[in-house]
Amino acid sequence: MTTAAMPPVRFRISRYRNLAWWGSGLACLLSLLGMALCWLTPSIGLPLKPGLDFTGGTQIQLERLCRTDCPAISASQIQDSLQQLTFDTGAGSSPAPNLDSAQVQLLDEGRSLLIRLPELSPEQATKVTAVLGNTLGPLDAAGTAVNTIGPTLGDQLLRGSLVSLLVSFAAIAAYITFRYDRVYAGLALVCLAHDVLITCGVFAWLGLLRGVEVDSLFAVSLITVAGYSVTDTVVVFDRIREQQTTLAALPVVEQVDVAVDATLTRSLYTSLTTLLPLVALIFFGGSTLFWFAVALTVGIAVGSWSSIGVAPTLLPLFARR
Amino acid sequence: MARQQGWIALILALAIAAAALLFSFPLKLGLDLRGGSQLMLQVMPAGAVKTVQPEQLEAVKEVLERRINGLGVAESTLQTVGNDQLVLQLPGEQDPTRAATVLGSTALLEFKAQKPGTEQEMQGLLQLKRQATAVLNRLKPRTADSADAAAGAGDQAQQPDPPSIKAEELARALTQLGVDVPAGSSEQRQIELLLDAVNQRIVALYEPSNLSGRDLVSAGRQQQQSGSAWDVTLSFSREGGEKFADLTRSIAGSGRLLGIVLDGRSISEASVGPEFKAAGISGGGATITGNFTADEARDLEVQLRGGSLPLPVKIIEVRTVGPSLGAENIRTSLAAGLTGLGLVALFMVVVYRLPGLVAVLSLSLYALFNLAVYALIPVTLTLPGIAGFILSIGMAVDANVLIFERVKEELRSGNTLIRSIDTGFAQALSSILDGHVTGLISCVALFALGTGLVKGFAVTLAIGLLLSLFTALTCTRTILRVLMAYPSLRRNTNFLPVRQLPARAS
Repeated sequence: MTTAAMPPVRFRISRYRNLAWWGSGLACLLSLLGMALCWLTPSIGLPLKPGLDFTGGTQIQLERLCRTDCPAISASQIQDSLQQLTFDTGAGSSPAPNLDSAQVQLLDEGRSLLIRLPELSPEQATKVTAVLGNTLGPLDAAGTAVNTIGPTLGDQLLRGSLVSLLVSFAAIAAYITFRYDRVYAGLALVCLAHDVLITCGVFAWLGLLRGVEVDSLFAVSLITVAGYSVTDTVVVFDRIREQQTTLAALPVVEQVDVAVDATLTRSLYTSLTTLLPLVALIFFGGSTLFWFAVALTVGIAVGSWSSIGVAPTLLPLFARR
Repeated sequence: MARQQGWIALILALAIAAAALLFSFPLKLGLDLRGGSQLMLQVMPAGAVKTVQPEQLEAVKEVLERRINGLGVAESTLQTVGNDQLVLQLPGEQDPTRAATVLGSTALLEFKAQKPGTEQEMQGLLQLKRQATAVLNRLKPRTADSADAAAGAGDQAQQPDPPSIKAEELARALTQLGVDVPAGSSEQRQIELLLDAVNQRIVALYEPSNLSGRDLVSAGRQQQQSGSAWDVTLSFSREGGEKFADLTRSIAGSGRLLGIVLDGRSISEASVGPEFKAAGISGGGATITGNFTADEARDLEVQLRGGSLPLPVKIIEVRTVGPSLGAENIRTSLAAGLTGLGLVALFMVVVYRLPGLVAVLSLSLYALFNLAVYALIPVTLTLPGIAGFILSIGMAVDANVLIFERVKEELRSGNTLIRSIDTGFAQALSSILDGHVTGLISCVALFALGTGLVKGFAVTLAIGLLLSLFTALTCTRTILRVLMAYPSLRRNTNFLPVRQLPARAS
């Protein structure tokens, strides 16, 4: 009797594997759909809405000195005053940028604002800030942030992020092949692609519905999610391999069930402890890290799901006895 | 037991050293946390140079460093990035305009003699130049003060001041020089165009010369004896002094002028009196009288002293963060991080009991070591860096969770406490190792191929992963073992709830 050697299993992942596959498949499809819709939207034209870091341009963040009794201001008022602004171009400098396409975003009930402009020189940016000071009233110089990114840098950033992502994928696959087996490496990559795809999908939808843009921190979070996903999957695989001698008589499906059950508590606890600081960052952290924390939270939640529900359930299909 | 004591001594020593390190070397904060400006520069290939070589990048960096030091911003740093980029950080600097101007210009300084037979043309041009400059000086302060520079319509209301150019005169001069004026340009804009054209004409009237900024030893500035304008003084090398003497002798008393040309723009024209006909202006010194303001004189001096750039540079990124914005970022992110960690600590103690407490202790040590390493290397802490730190804490906690889950398993299957602890550590090792190694692989890829922000993240995460291997495998284990020496603590119920323990075999 083989069942005699079987340790007690509280939770059998194989019973839910169809559900798991359907769930993950649907999530992947929705993600692809979101990215396709983003791509087809003329104003975006890319699978994800690229932020300043990738498109290039100048972003000015201003804070008004008035704390509670700020005179009301509308985005169109600011756009009007920007359109009236002209730059005097010195000899040899590039033609004056067109400010008609400025995007204005009001934050904190109009106390601070975020303005997206075409690429400006430092002088021009200073002038814009000064002119806006007239429209807005006194500004808090200590709360001003000006970022200018040239188009070449955005390209470099995108290329660098993609290349480092692909290289780390390849290196991780090589490491798992070396430590475990080709099938495990393949499954770890499937899992990793699954996690990265869904994280991107969530941001594609956020971009479509809420206008959320992806920046270089998003690229960082994707790479982190990839690393985390592999770590999580490897723990389950490690357990399966460890049991191979003691449970050799059992079919692979059952071996996987035992391993998943044994590591389930750990997987959930680890995700929980990693998510706690991230959730704290979402709720209490600065605005700079908000979407970064959201991307990591989504990615790590999905990653811990795929290490329980996707990689182990797929293993019996490919495993060689 | 003696081995444990050795480990405890080591851990204590490390903790004290780390605390002392942190105390004497404060953490370096990035510009996004403390405020300041960051400029990214791209070195452009020019002329015969198709790709930028490392030594050319170094040469550019050297020149720029001298110029930046002249600006007088404390703690500015200039670093090379990749093959052809430089990043300049100016902590506390809110207005990068001046730095941008000083960095961007090539500062090719030339001293040229006027071509013979062009005296009359030069006279006309110089008169136009004086006139235009005077009008511009009148116009400039007004536009700078009047806040609504955007509204060009308000200009007519101004009282006309003595120095002015009549509209038709200006138009005639512009057409004579062949300048295309965009329709609707302001008066100031037209005069600026005129001045540029005049300066170009003047430069064309000079002979080529072999005396350039390379022959310069130093530059200084001094206030004019009459008035508030500033002059820039130059002193040449011995060879340069000789060339300068030759140059001035050739035109002394002839009515031809000596031109000082910076980046192809004539900044000053000087006549050389007949008294220098014999030997030229010798002694290796000269003065540029350009009616500069104090700041202009200073910037020009800095550019001249820095020498000319071997290759042109282009500013491709400028980031400026206000100091209070930085402080706000620190405060909120720190508060959030600590809240999250507090929750994690609570979770560990509730779920794992005594070992949970040990884990919290060793994780505190872990955080201390981490910060000490940041201070030691030193790592400049940026927002992504802090994110990397928080994530590496997550991984460190994971290592402890992996170990304690194994210990619990062993206990449930009826092993003794000490055996369970040892087996737990041994069995968790391989998955901890794999997790950390894959994490480190990502870090290496990110660091090697990523850009600025990504690099900061990779460095803190990598330090975190390496230290977490150390603390999980030594600190947690040692402290746990030392505590197990006390019989009152050596109870299974300190690890597991009673109902999960196997019934005692009897």
